[in-house]
Amino acid sequence: MDLTAYEDYAETLEALDDEMRFEYLLDIAKKKRGEPFPEEAMDDAHLMHGCMSRVWIVHDISEDRHYFRGHSDAAIVKGLVTMMTDSFSGLTTAELAQITLDHVRRLNLGALTTQRQVGMMAMLKHLQKLAGARPGFQAA
Amino acid sequence: MTTGVMTAAPALRAAPSHGRNTYDPAAVRGDFPILSRTIYNKPLRFLDNGASAQKPQSVLDAVQNSYAREYANVHRGAHFLSGAATEAYEGVREKVAGLLNAPAPENIVFTKNVTEAINLVACSWAGAHLSAGDEIVITQMEHHANIVPWQLLRDRKGIVLRVAPVEDDGRFDLEKFAALLTDRTKLVSVTHVSNVLGTVVPVAEVTRLARAAGACVLIDGAQGVVHQPVDVQVIGCDFYAFTGHKLYGPTGIGVLYGTAERLAETPPWQGGGDMIESVSFEKTVYADPPLRFEAGTPPFVQAIGLGAAIDYVQALGMEAIGAHEHALCNHAMEALRAVPGVRPIGEAPNKAAIVSFVVDGLHSMDVGAILDRQGIAVRVGHHCAQPLMARMGIESTVRASMALYNTTEEIDALAAGIRHAQKLLA
Repeated sequence: MDLTAYEDYAETLEALDDEMRFEYLLDIAKKKRGEPFPEEAMDDAHLMHGCMSRVWIVHDISEDRHYFRGHSDAAIVKGLVTMMTDSFSGLTTAELAQITLDHVRRLNLGALTTQRQVGMMAMLKHLQKLAGARPGFQAA
Repeated sequence: MTTGVMTAAPALRAAPSHGRNTYDPAAVRGDFPILSRTIYNKPLRFLDNGASAQKPQSVLDAVQNSYAREYANVHRGAHFLSGAATEAYEGVREKVAGLLNAPAPENIVFTKNVTEAINLVACSWAGAHLSAGDEIVITQMEHHANIVPWQLLRDRKGIVLRVAPVEDDGRFDLEKFAALLTDRTKLVSVTHVSNVLGTVVPVAEVTRLARAAGACVLIDGAQGVVHQPVDVQVIGCDFYAFTGHKLYGPTGIGVLYGTAERLAETPPWQGGGDMIESVSFEKTVYADPPLRFEAGTPPFVQAIGLGAAIDYVQALGMEAIGAHEHALCNHAMEALRAVPGVRPIGEAPNKAAIVSFVVDGLHSMDVGAILDRQGIAVRVGHHCAQPLMARMGIESTVRASMALYNTTEEIDALAAGIRHAQKLLA
């Protein structure tokens, strides 16, 4: 499975100290790559529930591969959701189902609170749910 | 008192070495072990006291002593330790009565927290005495714990919930409140101090007006009892609830004060051991208040910790604590107003030391996270007061809530921290 973007993020984070990781996350939020998040998708239908800030995620499928774009009204969460959607876009349903807490941990590296790690796990589950890669949690 | 729990080491430790007349936050801080630790290699600046306050050594000692030397279940043991634990537990009931100036220890029901105390009144007293069409008045600044139990009752019994407004600056308008009282008003349930705005509700006047309308009064004192002296007889309320963990005591112990009349007419709400006089399959006779409302093994160790916390704040003096926090609050409001882009939410005169604010262009969560990296602990979000957020036209705030051990230096660090967040997130 192609996890180039994920490895890129993880390796960069590994090279930084705690304080710099935090600033890196804010940089990701500020210099979001790719297309801007569509304003019309910032609605209830794309809202991920259960977050302290609002998180919207758009899901597309192309040639059996899943592509995600995410956005949040909080900068730190925007950084996190951007890392997550960049990291795990372009995977098949079966590949996405193999992504676990261990993958998510490498994107955290102690720079954030436990609460935020829980939030990142919730994001992963949400991506998997949207892609139908979570048994029992099939997307509508 | 023969057990030693309430009078020996903890009580001695509870008497701060510093005098009442010269309030010395530095000396007070020495009583709280956690305040000397660092977070991310920075000194901890704990400004999340409205959620839970830290514990002085005397409280930690009382809890430790209870488990290590005085531990046995209360009320029914035929042995020394059970007697000692019972005496200590019931001794705390007297201390709580003293703290609130309740007429007697029998006015004091131990609960898990304020939420449980309010639910007790909602399920049991209001459940028995209110019927369809009866009205309960609350305010826009209530914590969810003083909203949802009444909504559950509304769904169950068809009562009507009326909501007194709060002004743009957080002030409580007594006239607007009074206009909501009708001959169907059976209960007024209001916060003493808003957990978001710091607004101090004039509860004695509220009670006087409610009484004149023939209504009973419940006061949510979660934030009230920690910032000022409280006298339930002067207020004249029927019920007053507070929790231990915001008053420098353990979690898991709360208090419901009720007048003898109200408690006597309140049916039991949970059945079990300890709340009965006698049980047979044909007929069970319930115990008198307060034990009627304390089914099962109570959190007596936590209560003993609360007793030590009450000793601690009383040794410092609630007046002195209130004055110190008032000065801190004024300092905080000035410091925040001096930061461009910071908008305080809640500017009622003489408010308690709870300061909420939003920062232009920044999400509260981001501000909180950046303050956290500087060792500054604040709370962000809706603070379990979503209707108040809606009223104020915001989604969340950053909240700095101060306690008896906070200092102006910590407030200055908060203001500097906000400027740092603005720079980082620009």
